This record gives sequence, structure tokens and C-alpha cells, in this order.
Amino acid sequence: MLLDTLKALCPLFGPSGLEDEVRSYIRKEAEPYADQILETRTGALLVFKRGRVKPKFTVMLAAHMDEVGVIVKEIDGDGFLRFGCVGGIDRRVLLGKPVFLGPRRIPGVIGMKPVHLTTEEERKSVPKIKELYIDVGAANQKEAEALVEPGDYGCFDPAFLELQNGFVCSKAIDDRLGCALMLEKLKEDLPVDAWFAFTVQEEIGSRGAFGAAFGIRPDVVLVLEATSAADIPPNKEANQVCAPRRGPVISLLDKGTVYDAGLFRLLTGIAEEKGIPWQVKTRRVGSTDARAAIAAAGGCRAAGLSAPVRCIHSPSCVGSVRDFEDMKRMLDAFLEKMEDYHG
Amino acid sequence: MDMKQALFELSRCAGPSGAEGDVFETAEAILKPFVRSVTRDVLGNLIGIRTAKKRNRPCILLDAHLDEVGMLVTDHERGFLKFASIGIDPRILPGLRVRVCTEPPMYGVVACLPPHVTDPDERGKAIPAKDLRVDCGLTEEEAPKRVPVGTRIVYASEPFLMGEKIVCGKSLDDRACFVILCRVMELLRDEELNVDVCVLGSVQEEYTGAGAATGSYNMQPDEAIVVDVSFAETPDSKEGCKPLGSGPMIGIGPVMSRRMSEELRSLAKENGIPFTREVLPSGTGTNADAIQICREGVPVCCVSLPLRYMHTPLEAVSLDDMEHCAQLIAKYILSRKEGD
Repeated sequence: MLLDTLKALCPLFGPSGLEDEVRSYIRKEAEPYADQILETRTGALLVFKRGRVKPKFTVMLAAHMDEVGVIVKEIDGDGFLRFGCVGGIDRRVLLGKPVFLGPRRIPGVIGMKPVHLTTEEERKSVPKIKELYIDVGAANQKEAEALVEPGDYGCFDPAFLELQNGFVCSKAIDDRLGCALMLEKLKEDLPVDAWFAFTVQEEIGSRGAFGAAFGIRPDVVLVLEATSAADIPPNKEANQVCAPRRGPVISLLDKGTVYDAGLFRLLTGIAEEKGIPWQVKTRRVGSTDARAAIAAAGGCRAAGLSAPVRCIHSPSCVGSVRDFEDMKRMLDAFLEKMEDYHG
Repeated sequence: MDMKQALFELSRCAGPSGAEGDVFETAEAILKPFVRSVTRDVLGNLIGIRTAKKRNRPCILLDAHLDEVGMLVTDHERGFLKFASIGIDPRILPGLRVRVCTEPPMYGVVACLPPHVTDPDERGKAIPAKDLRVDCGLTEEEAPKRVPVGTRIVYASEPFLMGEKIVCGKSLDDRACFVILCRVMELLRDEELNVDVCVLGSVQEEYTGAGAATGSYNMQPDEAIVVDVSFAETPDSKEGCKPLGSGPMIGIGPVMSRRMSEELRSLAKENGIPFTREVLPSGTGTNADAIQICREGVPVCCVSLPLRYMHTPLEAVSLDDMEHCAQLIAKYILSRKEGD
């Protein structure tokens, strides 16, 4: 079940550069269904499964295993940690949040001065990341050094929450959702042979996808992502980009890629045919692994399907299960269409 | 008693000022084994009493408040909740998980915009609470009915332990101090008392202090010790703050009874209990202010627990500090002699 797989994947520890826990889990789940499994030298997991027919065009699905997080830079004299962000995080979502650090998942909190001790002037702005600190409850530097070390990665709260009307809240929905869709698809019979690329380091520039695409040399890439819904009042309508419950976002254009017009029409055709709601982003923001796939090995046709997710790149992404299920239906139909796809 | 466990349970309760009902039951269960009776007054204050061996003895009131900071729904917009808050720095809110106190409660998130749509120079600016919204996944039609105006919202933090000694969670202000009071009564359980002890788990401290004013009016104590939290040192808070682990902060200042303050300091020194002095030049910002002026006046002193990140979703206190506070207060009560 898609939601169950998502609930299992989201809590896993996988900031860009240390996706091991996610990769191991996915590999174990994929193994019984795979005809071939490879890992690239930078850690992407490539799974090949045969379908009813070999398609004319090599098809690759892509989703990234990594999430945004933090990384410990140094331990100060009082046992507090200074840190940096892995991936693009607006620092305003960091204050007062719990983080879990290093191989032992040491719990800590990103501290903030009590409101009582702040001035009105201070309250107008948010401290810079280099001024923020993580408290792991160490009495001094030595105690802290026994718990963590510089270079330890940290993730946000792994608890997965159910909101109302089929909305869910968790860290890393971007892009464990894409991984969940691919894992679910792997368990099914496929209409065509397909590659499933679980990439790494997308959040710091699609760094894993280059190697993945280079190895596979796909003709068609379909990226499965979560994308930035900004339909929160009082944000102006023109700046809202996309919204949950209006269906999957079919990629047209973003900061990294001009998506293939033919595949765009194919996807919108599927949506219309099946009565699935769909939308496009109203602002050209964000980027996906498609740009790496195109650049890596001489070019390919790229398509993208994304779920509109609020509060992306924060500890609490919010998305609608109905949108996720609609994405699955579109993915199913897309692969069917690849049987006869001649470009 | 397991102070860590008690504190975890209290931290999980939802009890914003004026709606502390959820906390009462848990607080009562923790205190009950150590007092003769636990009752509730018209405002919702928890009153636990243990009397002295002899009759007509003076009464000492021990106060810790049960309410927490929180938010209140003020309006609805496209299914999102607009809110007001008391005592909360709005900079803590974007991306925060909250619990909306409907029946049954529902989870929500204080929504934030992704960095993809904000300008880099905007990202340093604090967003005022009036521009923030809580997202529970509600539709526009159902939001006003399912979450009416006035519904309370609290942080959704789950408490956890850092290392062996530091508890991290919401509402440690001031429930950590209520746990201290329960521990005091446990320490006194097998001792003979020369004074009546009234434990007041007060309500509405974060708003108006009405709980403490009412509780002390009704109990008519001869003196009171107010146990609240105060500021522990962190990299961005040094002045006037004391390190976690440095023990109870004993109040000194015009609102405090000089006698009580000196006696507490002597007792701490005599018994090897670490402590610091907290100098409060005018008001204390605690229930002591309301209690001191009750009826014809009540001698009062503050014994405060150092706490980091006050009023945020994850405050931090030291279990050692909690134990030392309890030891000190128990010693004080035992020092109240016949004929005082």
C-alpha cells in the first residue's frame, strides 16, 4: 500500500551525502522483484525490471532518496554545536526544532533565546545560521565530544502525523514519495522493461543523478517528485505555484529543465482520459533530477510528475494522500503508453 | 517517584491558560500518594493538603503553575486557522507541529513557504503571527465548524531525554516545578510536620496570575514558596542567567521576604545543596507577585528552576536541579519549628 510504504520510508535517516539507511531499506524491499540491481560509485541505487515487452525507448524512472538536514561543524567550549544546512533550508523553520544527530541519532534541540530576554529590534529578524546552535544536553565540550563530532549529519523529527481529510505531515516527503511510488511499482507486473533510479544528493544539485543517467543512458526519463505548494494565505495567488488536492503537477518548465513537449502532452492526455485532476506550476521555481539526466549522457526526453506539497524543505511537509494516489495512477498509465511510444 | 516519567506525562498534557483541565487529572494522580487530599476550586486550581501533626499550626503554601503558553484561533481563511498567542515568540512558529484542542484533538502545522518562492533577503525577516496560518488539512467549509473561534492550540512536542539528566519538552515551565513539589511531599512523607502544607497547582499564571491570587486567598497561608522557572545560560543568553546544573535559584529582592530568602540560603549551604542567587529588583514575573499582596499580605520567596528556551516548544531542565530544589524546600519545611 502506497501510504504504508511512505510511512516506512519518511522516518529513515538520509540527508544528502549519507543516504545509507534509505538505500539499504529500498534495496532489501526491491530485491525480490528486481532482475538487476546496481549501485553507482556515488551511492545511487539502480534497479532494472523486465516488463511484458522491451520498449523502443529505454525508460528510466527517477526519485531521490536524500532529504534536507543539518551537519555539525564544530563543538564550542560550552558543549553547544554549530552547524550548517545540507540542502536549501529557510533558517526560519529551524528555530526550536528537534534534530537527531550522527550514527546514534543523538537527540538535540536548535535553541533560541527566550522571548522575555529579547528586544523589539531583535524580534524583527532571525539569527543567521552561524549564530544558531544545537543543544545536546552536554555540560561541557568534553561531554559533547563523547556524543557527537564535526561532520555528523542530523535529521528532523521522524514522527509521521495524520492530519484531516487525508493530509499527512512528515519530514522528507520530498522525495520519499517518489521512492514509495517506485517501490510500489516494482512489486507489480510491468508493461515494459524499466529502470528505477533511486538517486542521491538531489538536494545539493542532483549530484547522484548524473552518474545514474550516465550508466543507464535512458531515452525517456520520468522524474517522480514532491514540489513546492505555496497556497498558504496571505501569500498572493500569483506566488502560490501549485496547491494540494488539485491533482499531480505535470512538469512543463522549471529552473533546471525544459520538459519534453511530447511527453507533457502524453501526460496531460492520460490525466484527461482517466479523469485525474492535474495542474502546472504557476511559477518557474525548483529543479529536479531531470536536468542531470539530460546533461549526463547526450540528452534524453524528460518528463516530470510531482505531488504539490506544502512546507517543503522544512521539518513538516504537508501533502494529500489523494494526490499521491493520483500520481500512482498516472505512473501506471505512463508505463502502459511506453509500450507504443515512438517519440 | 520517577521524576522524569512524571514530567514526561505532564508535558504531554494540553493545558493552555484558562483551559488546564487536561493537566489536572495527571497532576492529581502524581501528587495524591503524598498528600491527604486533592481538590479543585472554581478556577480549576489544584489544591493538595497535608496537615501538621498538631492542630492550629501555620500553613505554608507551595505554588507551581500548571498552565502553558499557547495560541487561540481567531479566524479562518480558506481552511487555514488564524490565531493569536500569548508569550510566544512568533519566530519559533514556521514549520512547527501543533495540537489543536478540539474534541478529539487534531494535529496541525504552522505553515511556511518553501525557500523556492521567497527572496533571499526576505529569509532573515521574522514573520509576524498575524501572517502565519495553521494547516490541519481542513476544507474552507468545515474549518469554522470543526475549529470554532476560541479553540486553543498548543505545541505538539514529544518530550525526550538528552544525555542522562536533561529533560527536553514543552510546558516544563512550569510543570517541572509541579513535579518538584510532588517530590517535596514525597521527601516529607515519613516526617512529622510542624506546619500545614498546601500544594497549589495554579492556573492562568501565563495570563493574569488569577489562579495564584484565588488559591492563596482561599488557603490563607502564613507564608509561601513560589517555584517557577528562570533563565538558564545558553550561547545567546548569559546576563542574569545561571548554568543548568547550578541548582535552585533563590530569589532576593523587595517582593521576597528577607527572612525566608536568608534562611533558604543558609539551609542550602548547611546541607551542601548547590544554589545561586537570583536578584529581582522589582516584580518577579511569577505568582509571587500576586501572592505577596493577598489579603493582608503573605511573606513569599521564589525558588526557581533554571530552564533553557523558555516558552518554546522544547524547553530544557536538569533532573539534578529539580532534585536539589526539592531537597531545599523540604529542608525549609522541616526547619519550621514549634512556636514559630
